[in-house]
Amino acid sequence: MKGISVRRPLIGLTAYEQEVQYNGNNLIAGMLPMTYVKAVQATGGRAVLITPDDPGTDVLDSLDGIVFSGGGDIDPKYWGEELHPAADVDELRDTSELMLMKAALDRDLPLLGVCRGMQVMAVAAGGSLHQHLPDVIGHDRHRAAPGTDPLAADASAFGRHEVVLQPGSRAAALLGPSLTVNSFHHQGVNDPGTFTATGWCPDDEVIEIIEDPGRPFALGVQWHPERTGDLRVFAALAEAASRWSDRGRQVLAA
Amino acid sequence: MRRPIIGITAYVEPASWGVWQDLPTTLLPHAYTEAVMLAGGRAVLLPPDDGDTDVLRTLDGLVLAGGADLDPALYGAEAEPLTVARADRDAAELPLARAALKADLPVLGVCRGMQVLVVAAGGTLHQHLPDVLGHEKHRPAPAVYGTHDVALTAGSRIAGIMRDDLQIDCYHHQGVADPGSLLVTGRAEDGLPEAVEDPGRRFVLGVQWHPELNRDKRLFGALVDAAR
Repeated sequence: MKGISVRRPLIGLTAYEQEVQYNGNNLIAGMLPMTYVKAVQATGGRAVLITPDDPGTDVLDSLDGIVFSGGGDIDPKYWGEELHPAADVDELRDTSELMLMKAALDRDLPLLGVCRGMQVMAVAAGGSLHQHLPDVIGHDRHRAAPGTDPLAADASAFGRHEVVLQPGSRAAALLGPSLTVNSFHHQGVNDPGTFTATGWCPDDEVIEIIEDPGRPFALGVQWHPERTGDLRVFAALAEAASRWSDRGRQVLAA
Repeated sequence: MRRPIIGITAYVEPASWGVWQDLPTTLLPHAYTEAVMLAGGRAVLLPPDDGDTDVLRTLDGLVLAGGADLDPALYGAEAEPLTVARADRDAAELPLARAALKADLPVLGVCRGMQVLVVAAGGTLHQHLPDVLGHEKHRPAPAVYGTHDVALTAGSRIAGIMRDDLQIDCYHHQGVADPGSLLVTGRAEDGLPEAVEDPGRRFVLGVQWHPELNRDKRLFGALVDAAR
């Protein structure tokens, strides 16, 4: 590394773009909860936000890794279904993120999918989602009340559950055989496409983790690690992004 | 072909949307990203980060966006009663501005961003313009922009960019007192600096008004061209 200082990996975070209220303003903004930014910073990365209002994927040239963030529902037209009455789709993000996801997969950019982001992974890889989990599993315990922390001692049981992991999977090497997670979703992965499911909720078999062990780093989690103290998946992304960045520099230097 | 990447500094505010109430959120009005895109650049948002300024190495240009006041301690003054600062943005944006100036990266400062440029260049601010100017034309009322004409220095960069349409939209209660090492090249009719630049660098321009509101292709286009 002579002559090159160690640069933090640059991690893109896909952002919301919608009407928001702050300080008496009410306007359309690109935005993301600070929990994501802090998770990237706490694990050694530099966070930049990628807003969905731009039609290109050239921004990926600048990134060492990318997080596909949580958010609204994905339009079922992408896997050939009619829209469920309970769906609340984010068309702008669907278009932008499916395009970014395919381009990121094409170049093997290290990527982490969180909640909606994991669902974008599955859909981009040819898979499909359950549109409304209560229809499939008979309960709504994967959706915590807005603004609550399901992992807090006094929180209701809604949104808090176990995940069991596939022995031998990359996710298990990272997270161990099981963990307790927080959930805020009503869609779920039905078919992970070319990804492999490696973690489930033991109560109802809902898919909680998908990965592709053939890629440098491609991991999706259905829960929200950025809202917890357990940032292992963000740390793993940062590490993969640093390796990817170094490889890129070697290619450039050659 | 890859477009120039333009980093834009972002706000952090308690924000509400959908089912979420007052969640600490990093955000930037869509007008900025659209203005950059329409001018041929690719915008990325830069949430505050006081770690280092290495991100500039991956950027082709920088926009220092609008927002709250700067902490007067940054230019050696005590805070006055109406000054409302954001320590997280100050801690991130002053080093970014200084490093961008040092690296001669093209940079556009908008409103607060112009004030960040001025303070990074060793200048100072008026903390509440009505106390100094005796009127509120630069921020007539909450969420109301003050529209006026700007007088530009002939031959300056900003004069070449704006040409003959000199109407601007302002919304600020602080203003530039001393531009530091920058040159004042635009003024309101009350004499307040409205534009500053550094003729010795590739592209360093600060405007006290909000060119993103009308996606002003002259200003954002000039930045993106300089960033190519």
